[in-house]
Amino acid sequence: MELEVNQTPVRTSKNFNINNIKLENVSFPSKILEFNNLKILNSDTKVTIDDLTSPIALNYGLGAELTNLVINNSNKKINVNINSKTNKEIQIKFDLDKKNSALLEDIEITANESTKETVIIKYTSDSSTFLFHDGIIRVNAKENSVLNVIIVNLINEKSSNFLAIQNNIDANAKVNYTIVDFGGKNSITNHYTNMTGDSAKTTINTIYLGHNSQVFDLNYIAELRGLQNDVKIEVQGALADTAKKHFKGTIDFKRGCKKSVGDENEACMLLSNTAKSLSLPMLLCSEEDVEGNHSSSAGKIDEKELFYIMTRGFSLKEAMKLLVKAKFNKILETIPNYELREKIIKEIDMRLN
Amino acid sequence: MKTQVEEINRNIYDFKNDDNYEYKIKKGLTPEIIEEISKQKGDPDWMREFRLKALEVYNKLEMPTWGPDISELNMDEIATYVKPKTTLSNSWEDVPEDIKSTFDKLGIPEAEKTSLAGVGAQYDSEVVYHSMKEDLIKQGVIYTDMETAVRDYPDIVKKHFMKCVPVSDHKFAALHGAVWSGGSFVYVPKGVKVDIPLQSYFRLNSPESGQFEHTLIIVEEGASLHFIEGCSAPKYNKVNLHAGCVELYVKDNAYLRYSTIENWSKNMLNLNTKKAIVGKNAKMDWVSGSFGSKISMLYPMSILNGEGSRTEFTGISFAGGGQNLDNGFKVVHNAPNTSSVVNAKSISKNGGKCTYRSLVKISSNAPHSKSSVSCESLMLDDMSISDTIPTNDIETDDVEFSHEAKIGKISDKTIFYLMSRGLSEEDAKAMIVRGFAYPISKELPVEYAVEMNRLINLELEGAIG
Repeated sequence: MELEVNQTPVRTSKNFNINNIKLENVSFPSKILEFNNLKILNSDTKVTIDDLTSPIALNYGLGAELTNLVINNSNKKINVNINSKTNKEIQIKFDLDKKNSALLEDIEITANESTKETVIIKYTSDSSTFLFHDGIIRVNAKENSVLNVIIVNLINEKSSNFLAIQNNIDANAKVNYTIVDFGGKNSITNHYTNMTGDSAKTTINTIYLGHNSQVFDLNYIAELRGLQNDVKIEVQGALADTAKKHFKGTIDFKRGCKKSVGDENEACMLLSNTAKSLSLPMLLCSEEDVEGNHSSSAGKIDEKELFYIMTRGFSLKEAMKLLVKAKFNKILETIPNYELREKIIKEIDMRLN
Repeated sequence: MKTQVEEINRNIYDFKNDDNYEYKIKKGLTPEIIEEISKQKGDPDWMREFRLKALEVYNKLEMPTWGPDISELNMDEIATYVKPKTTLSNSWEDVPEDIKSTFDKLGIPEAEKTSLAGVGAQYDSEVVYHSMKEDLIKQGVIYTDMETAVRDYPDIVKKHFMKCVPVSDHKFAALHGAVWSGGSFVYVPKGVKVDIPLQSYFRLNSPESGQFEHTLIIVEEGASLHFIEGCSAPKYNKVNLHAGCVELYVKDNAYLRYSTIENWSKNMLNLNTKKAIVGKNAKMDWVSGSFGSKISMLYPMSILNGEGSRTEFTGISFAGGGQNLDNGFKVVHNAPNTSSVVNAKSISKNGGKCTYRSLVKISSNAPHSKSSVSCESLMLDDMSISDTIPTNDIETDDVEFSHEAKIGKISDKTIFYLMSRGLSEEDAKAMIVRGFAYPISKELPVEYAVEMNRLINLELEGAIG
């Protein structure tokens, strides 16, 4: 099947090949079985987790085919209701394998008024067979809440990975994302944030790492509607071999979002002369009294830095790994779970071998 | 506190003459109309056939699915060829009085005397005046209208005409190929440096019509040229269309600066195409001021095909009420050691919309290339819109690429700082806006820079706070 997904909110010339991503030979699972390889760790008594999610309605999403696939065939529903102020850690771990080869999850997280919590969602796979993941995560951050969401994608490189995230952020609420996107033959993510309340804040810190022929398509959209909204998007990535990345980042200042600030920074390290980086960092502005900035850069690792490390006895490959990890470190440090951080660092070493 | 910036004073452009033409083709776009244009212009067979093929391509291509809404454009309501009541002249005295007075008011003959090496003037679909200084003629420089070039230099024209911008590029390039008329042809021989600029001025007077001039410039090896293009039209109630085409060939070690001051009326759809092919160690500079038009979709493009070739784009757009200016720049790095620098600015006010839309492509065969893009947008009220839509396509690792963009209003802190140094608030704001535009205005021909600064006239409305 051929799919055109992850449409940008505003189109540009179709010759630039970035309005959406065309995927050839995508196969949906013929039969969706139960998904049983799920672990949820929750030691917080003020957080309830059940399967009573509300009906799915997405402003954006990846496209009708993929959204409807979850709506009609979801094999895991997780509703997280947070009433805690202690910021304990909730972990939701999906491990895909031959018996659990298709995951279509619907996750809804509600951070109630004045609560604070961290939710880690991790996707791993031990199998080297083809796996299929199509997920939807919906976040509702009520007034004065603080929610940290950490998403780690480490599924194998034969698989299809689709994820649509939608956030609704009320007044004075803050949602911080750390996204580690390493897995999938195709890893396609749509991340939409609707900032409805005054002084709502969000940060999105993403690292991606592509090698072999992996393709990443990241479509991040933030719509600012309240007074003094604040958006920060930081995307750091590295591409080796013939890996390819599309980054589409949109900060949309809607009329009335006075005194709001939006910053977007995207940097891509190219580790081979056949890797490709395509980016579209958009600023859309219908409000005068705002500050919007974006920057985008691409290039190879600084030869002087490489040389310096190699004079200390490291091989070229080791030196490259060190520099990639150093670039990613600022974002990795936002993950409070030490074990998870170490696991990600090991993945970087393994994937760049 | 509100900032009041005057929009472009159009009085000097909005005067209109009677629609007094020798021949005006009937509205619409059919093979018969194309045949008739070709007959009126006395095209050679190859050009007539070219036009008809372009029309076929036009009919096959779809309208753009992105950018401003141009659905109001109805080609059945546009006359694509209007021949003024005069013939080409090389003396202003021979140009009919009403047409001459138009160009007098626009200051073209005066500019020719004081600061230009040559002038071309197009009125509706035909060039009515062309002249160049004797010494350039002696050096072998050719500066003439396109029709004369098709007739007198067929080999050069056939080799280059719509090769840089093929008719398949997009729908309006195909339209241009079918109905083009007028425009300038410049040929600068090897090693010749044209120190004083040449200028072509395009004036569209006839209502419900289109202007489709073709500009073809070839700067041979080691030669250099500065070419200035100006455009204006009076305002009518129904839309006019401008779908010109500019093809520039900058050969090895050559230099070309192409400056455009576009001040079409606010009923004009400006769907223009400009492209340059840049040779080894050559340099192509674009300077662009975009002030007029109801809708503009204009993205000049440099294709850096020669090793070590360079390009710079310096542009400003100023959108007032009812204007939607979707402008930008495209560059393709297609050889090693190429470089591009982009500095784009926009000002939007009174409900106007400015969009910066761009492409930087660094191909896999362009190692050691560098590209630096900076775009800044200033919004002067809360009714206006400013968007930045840049595409960056990097296909090799050995590059230095950076893009940065800023959107915002005039900083209160900066105003406060300047006022603490004794400036009034109006003067402080005027200084900030002029400073914002200065990197662009300093690159404009001086008479246009002065005019632009005059327009940035600030007033205060309401009380502070």
